[in-house]
Amino acid sequence: MTPALILRRAGAGALALALLILAVAAGAALGETAIPLSTVAATVAQKLWGAATSVDAIDAGIVWNYRIARALMAAACGMALAVSGAVLQSLLRNPLADPYLLGISAGASTGAVSVAVLGLGGGALSLTSGALAGALLAFALVAFLAWRAGRGAASVILAGIAGSQLFNALTSFVVAKAATADQARGILFWLLGNLSGTRWPDVTVAVPAALIGTAVCVAHARALDAFAFGTDSAASLGVPVRRVQVTLVLAAAAMTAVMVGFVGSIGFVGLVVPHVARMFVGVRHGALLPASAVAGAVFMIAADVLSRVVVQGQVLPIGVMTALVGAPIFAVILVHRRIDR
Amino acid sequence: MSLNSFIPVAAARRFALPLLLTTALIAPQLASSAAAAPVTIENCGRTLTFEHPPERVVSVGQSSTEILYLLGLADKVAGTAVWLGPVLKGYEAINAKVPRLADNDPSFESVVSRKPQLVTTQFEWQIGPKGVVGTPQQFADLGIPVYTSPADCQGKDNAGAGDGLRTAAFDMGLIYREIDDMARIFDVKDRGDKLIAELKAREEAARKKIAGYGGKVSAVFWFSSSQMKADPYVAGRRGAPAYIMATLGIRNVIETDEEWPTIGWETIARANPTVIVAGKMDRRRYPADDITAKLAFLKSDPVTSLMPAVKADRIVELDAQAMNPTIRTIDGIEALAEAVDKARLSE
Repeated sequence: MTPALILRRAGAGALALALLILAVAAGAALGETAIPLSTVAATVAQKLWGAATSVDAIDAGIVWNYRIARALMAAACGMALAVSGAVLQSLLRNPLADPYLLGISAGASTGAVSVAVLGLGGGALSLTSGALAGALLAFALVAFLAWRAGRGAASVILAGIAGSQLFNALTSFVVAKAATADQARGILFWLLGNLSGTRWPDVTVAVPAALIGTAVCVAHARALDAFAFGTDSAASLGVPVRRVQVTLVLAAAAMTAVMVGFVGSIGFVGLVVPHVARMFVGVRHGALLPASAVAGAVFMIAADVLSRVVVQGQVLPIGVMTALVGAPIFAVILVHRRIDR
Repeated sequence: MSLNSFIPVAAARRFALPLLLTTALIAPQLASSAAAAPVTIENCGRTLTFEHPPERVVSVGQSSTEILYLLGLADKVAGTAVWLGPVLKGYEAINAKVPRLADNDPSFESVVSRKPQLVTTQFEWQIGPKGVVGTPQQFADLGIPVYTSPADCQGKDNAGAGDGLRTAAFDMGLIYREIDDMARIFDVKDRGDKLIAELKAREEAARKKIAGYGGKVSAVFWFSSSQMKADPYVAGRRGAPAYIMATLGIRNVIETDEEWPTIGWETIARANPTVIVAGKMDRRRYPADDITAKLAFLKSDPVTSLMPAVKADRIVELDAQAMNPTIRTIDGIEALAEAVDKARLSE
């Protein structure tokens, strides 16, 4: 490595870290109610370095236990979805691929609805564990279908569509059969993503899950580069095709399932963020995956902050926000790419 | 000499008006006991005419059913549906004899197969322009009139999906109107008047009980939450809890117009309500439906556990039915007044 390259990487790393810290700080400072910046800073100083401060205990609790926990959950979620999206787009050689293609979102909805409406598990199962179980079940079905359908990216995509349709139908069936208006609304809210229930214990699961999943994907960056020219070329370059495919799809599925279990399905992040990252750092996965991870985290925190402040006295589902912001960005990218070529 | 010649003209005039009024009050009663005049009711944009009091009624909605029971009309009820909790205390035996078509939404056919001469519905969500059971027109096609609870159509927009949006604040007057309409349809006007007078007296007694606390007490009504720790459903400015609070001179810390908005605990904790009213219900759709789960959350969450209302245990458990626009809204008024009085919140 030349000194110039080391310097560039260090610079990129520092920039990424600064952006992340800035985003979390914004998440801590902005919310439904106005808390002065000094209180926010004092709370962080008190919690991180044990500084003696005289901030109101409720204000401190809101900043530390609600807002910062929530920002970190958003970061983990954004990171996991964006990295999964980037990996699947490359692996399946389809620019439209996103983590929900694997049936995970549909399965999670079915799981959550079964717990909420049918009372599956008799109250012992939480919405989170129901969603996680549904996600893994749906993914298992999609994986089985794809495996039986034979090799190739197309079979995974088709299996994903079949699995998603089936589980979406099951969700509709359960909702239509049993739910009242009140329930339907609560479930809709959850389906569009909801970060408001996040507390520290959730963060201590979600953040490691996102980091480990991302690390697994980054470790296969070179193999993913090779896949750009098709599986045969990758095999001729000495990549163990089958093993890498299975490992990466499993990593993406597991990461996504955990996030969907905690916060519901949040659209557009897994689809859009990798394309934005590619515009800035190119297609090499050694740079693309870390860039997607950071961009996803920052984008999700920003969307969450917006969802809390854009309508006074009301919190919008974060999925609405990511789509509202993400769709125009996606449109701009589409147009730009055409002009460039 | 007749008596008349002793009465001066002015005095005769003074007597004439009360005499006329008395005649006017007696006349309809005479008429109805003769069962001659048809009763015409304006209800939710429809005009309902009854030649005779209906002999068979299906009521879709717990509050509608309980109003019929309170009017002593249980023997006319041919079927019930949409039960949110146990029937009003004292009516268990009566209710057990009445066929329950469904705990939740009944099917259209199960309702009409009871051959009702009237169908009452508490919510347009079930029977209304987009009702899941049917539309009033579908019933009209079979010659069955539908009466909709005024609380669900007046000042409420049910055009969208879901359980509707309240465009004006709920008022107990809407429930009294329903009682009065039912009393007229079933020709038991005296029972209706008596029931309304009783409910109004209870309302007034509760109001007087804490009249001295004017403006010093604030509250939040927590119905449930979609996930235990997620933003809760709390009472906005236009539902039954808002009426309860307004009647008692208690300030609602939530200021949005929606009936049950989701508001973050952050906002609630910082608004610092004097009292937290937590909904108690038999429904178990969300973990937070359980009152013990609600109390456990309030006492264990890192933020809500610090709220003065939680620390001082100023948490009022209230039947969720009282939080909906029903006859039981009065129970809510009484329960909250009692709790505020007990906690000596004026000091």
